[in-house]
Amino acid sequence: MANQTPLSETQAKLTQELRRGVLVLATLSQLDEPKYGYALIDRLAQQGLEVEQGTLYPLLRRLEEHGLLQSEWNVEGNRPRRYYVISEMGKTLLQDLKVDWQQLASVIENLLSQV
Amino acid sequence: MNLIDRYVYAVGRQLPRKNRADIQAELKSTLIDTLEARSEGEPSEEQIVALLTEFGTPEKVAASYWPESQYLIGPKLYPLFRMSLGIALLVFVIVQLVLLGVVVIFNQQPIQILELTGDIVGSLFTTVGVVVLVFAVLQRLDVKPNIEQGKWDPRELPEVEEKYEVNRRGLVVEITIALIIIAILLFWPDKIGFRLNPWSGIILNPVIISTIPLIILSLLIGIGIDVVLIWRGHWETGTRVAKICANLFSIYVLSVLLTGQNAWLAEQGYVGLFSAIEALPQNGTPSIELVQIMSAQAFRIAFIVALIVISIETFKMIYRFIKQLIDKSSSTRILPPEKA
Repeated sequence: MANQTPLSETQAKLTQELRRGVLVLATLSQLDEPKYGYALIDRLAQQGLEVEQGTLYPLLRRLEEHGLLQSEWNVEGNRPRRYYVISEMGKTLLQDLKVDWQQLASVIENLLSQV
Repeated sequence: MNLIDRYVYAVGRQLPRKNRADIQAELKSTLIDTLEARSEGEPSEEQIVALLTEFGTPEKVAASYWPESQYLIGPKLYPLFRMSLGIALLVFVIVQLVLLGVVVIFNQQPIQILELTGDIVGSLFTTVGVVVLVFAVLQRLDVKPNIEQGKWDPRELPEVEEKYEVNRRGLVVEITIALIIIAILLFWPDKIGFRLNPWSGIILNPVIISTIPLIILSLLIGIGIDVVLIWRGHWETGTRVAKICANLFSIYVLSVLLTGQNAWLAEQGYVGLFSAIEALPQNGTPSIELVQIMSAQAFRIAFIVALIVISIETFKMIYRFIKQLIDKSSSTRILPPEKA
């Protein structure tokens, strides 16, 4: 196999995919109160989830396009900031995703315990 | 803050026009928020540079805001695109071969090689371009082929065909040789003959000259079938029959050449296979006429060899074809791929 990708590269790619999968769940879970981009990143980092800024902001916009988030510019304070909050549709979806996640997590936990 | 403005501006230039200003405003506000959190008071240039480097190049940031399916021809349309392009190119090659055949047979004017190549290359780009354009428009209109939706019944899947793979490399060599012969016949017919020595003039072979259209037609048919075979990748009943017919036609053309050569030689009074060599003077140079006879005899031998080779090949193909038919009708066992 001459053209095999180095292990570190494959690992980085797979880790990124894993994180990308859960990022939607993490984001929706933290937006029950309006937050602007940096505050959300900070909040996630405090909880132990480091997110690249370049990944989060486009994701927020996509979630809003799908109707899962709402946003508005807030001009209070020293400069305008865009605040995002979960929509009613987002809340419903979050509950469903939460159940899915818990089932999946328990299955994976079980599978990994056998390794 | 000049660097931040420049950065935001650079990103904005590559953003979708619709929400460009909005994204730019948010990006700027976010960058300043991050800087404020990282530095006390006015941030230094190093801190700004470090932050922007961390964010990534403007191209990368802008790309992340575009819709995910940003393709000229996306993965869902791509298989259909490849198939259509293949068909278009096949039709293109066949049309070009037919046109070339028509030009060779009906046009008495000498053909300009550069003009002809230019025309073919131009038409090739147009063909590929049109297919790409059609699919780019379909992609733009978000037309999706029916590969996910709808019910399908696995029982409607076609039977697995026994694959008799073609030898692609051999076919490419065949096509190349045929093209070279066509080029020589079309553009340098005055070079087909025999040279006594490097300085002497060329003694033409009158039989080949008079049979050029027939030879080219036979070669074009062969190329057409070879192109189809390369495209399909394996032998099918249709291609086998076509190849056998093409070979039979080649045998006919070679027979015409051979009979012509024989008749011409008989007319000159040389019947035996090596009669010209036997007639060579013991010393002194042979006459031009004798060299021409020798050349004709050399060509005759070449025709005989070609005829034998192609006949054997054709017999083998007919045998394989019949065997394939028998195998197909007698059993459904899976045969290992056969190199044909």
